[in-house]
Amino acid sequence: MKTGKYILVALIVPVIILVLWYIATTFGSLPASILPGQQMVGNAFIEMTSNGQLQGDLMISLVRVVKGFLASAITGVFLGSVMGMSSKMQNLLLPTITVIRQIPMVAWIPLIILWSGIGESSKVIIIMIAAVFPILVNTLSGIESTPDGYAEVARLYKLGKWKTFTKVYLPHALPQILVGLKLGLGVSWMAVVASELIAASTGIGYRMNEARSLMKSDKVIVCMIVIGLIGIIMDKLISLLFNQFTPWVNLQKNSK
Amino acid sequence: MENTRQNTGRTGNEYIINIEHLNKQFLVDKQPIEVLRDINLQVKKGEFITIVGHSGCGKSTLLKIMCGLVSYEDGTVERNGHAVAGPGPKCGMVFQDHRLLPWLKIKDNVGFGLRHLSKEEKEQQVKEHLELVGLKDFANSYPSQLSGGMSQRAAIARGLANKPTILLLDEPFGALDALTRIQMQKEILRIQEEQGTTMVMITHDIDEAIYLGNRIVVMSARPGEIKEIIKTDPVESKKRDSILFAKYKKKIYDYFFEDTEEEHDVAYVI
Repeated sequence: MKTGKYILVALIVPVIILVLWYIATTFGSLPASILPGQQMVGNAFIEMTSNGQLQGDLMISLVRVVKGFLASAITGVFLGSVMGMSSKMQNLLLPTITVIRQIPMVAWIPLIILWSGIGESSKVIIIMIAAVFPILVNTLSGIESTPDGYAEVARLYKLGKWKTFTKVYLPHALPQILVGLKLGLGVSWMAVVASELIAASTGIGYRMNEARSLMKSDKVIVCMIVIGLIGIIMDKLISLLFNQFTPWVNLQKNSK
Repeated sequence: MENTRQNTGRTGNEYIINIEHLNKQFLVDKQPIEVLRDINLQVKKGEFITIVGHSGCGKSTLLKIMCGLVSYEDGTVERNGHAVAGPGPKCGMVFQDHRLLPWLKIKDNVGFGLRHLSKEEKEQQVKEHLELVGLKDFANSYPSQLSGGMSQRAAIARGLANKPTILLLDEPFGALDALTRIQMQKEILRIQEEQGTTMVMITHDIDEAIYLGNRIVVMSARPGEIKEIIKTDPVESKKRDSILFAKYKKKIYDYFFEDTEEEHDVAYVI
């Protein structure tokens, strides 16, 4: 009942947009190359999926995301943990990282293309640069926010440094690491599309840019909708998966 | 390794805890702050010692020195006849904020310090101690699902799971409501009788100190000094409405009254 109502409320705005879009394209005088009708977009979707083009592009982009995301997850969790556990390492690395973070992900693209061309590796590197920071920062903050009292319990039971990390700091940071990974995955998806838009010969972003150059606004919109939907699906899937890893977190929410 | 050699000729060995002339300073902004001054305390096996004092009188530091979490430079601190050099399995500790790890189930929290045991032994120990504190139905719960009193029971089970000879308790019932606190005081006495564990408990609740302590250590603040050690009557101190109970209470109150109002003359007359 409550979720049903929630979904109904959430659907109000999308329905208004669809209606306005319908009115604008049916009764307005916009050329189809600027705003195509819903029928046209639907036909473009069918055309793009029936010849396998859309699936192929998506597959290429998703493989890039997986590679880049895994690389940034490993790097981010590792660096965040090292900096969280050692104030020396933090003093050494954090200032530089904070400065580099200020450079927007798209501003890296020209340099990355100069270095590694427009092939696979440049996409993976761009995703890494974009996704590593939210993962790193959340890992660091999760480790750092571990109460001293827990560390004292570890000392009381004479846990070594590594055991203290794996048994106390890491589990304490885990919910926040997962938040970082979730953000990182979202950013990875945005980064792959952005990098493909600017310089690529394959992938969903490339397909969109190609459609734009051919004035195929219907195809552009199909790509946009698919990108949005994939983003949402990835976000929901990763949330579902991660909830399994932290059974104690939702209990705390429910008990309040 | 610790052991409980007794009567080997050295007088210190009859005490499970032996503290002589302990002084402790902390450096705050490079300025030494005297926390403990000339502490002398001997605890016999099976005793229940309560320590009362103002907050900030160094009693928590004293307890942490006893279990080896805080180092000391000046004086003697012995546990089971050996100088304390760090935490050990024979000395358990229970904190005010139960400090159960929220990501571990209660059974895993209780078994947290039992790494050296085999899986079966560990399970057995955990089961035994959960039963001891009346939490065997909550083995698979997470700490957030437990009430304050139950969490503190679990923390006591964790403190005892190693079968320590000494259990140190740092205001363990301080955050509990009055009714739960009285319940827990009865529980801890029962547990002490069953296990024979020597216990040292810090409290700011004077009634609690009298009810539980075989001896009550009264401490003054800044620097922390032992003002007096009051030996209680084993029968009368367990009756909260007895005359002797009220007398102990008055005596301890007067120490703190003297501390805050600085009416030294009055204290001397009494």
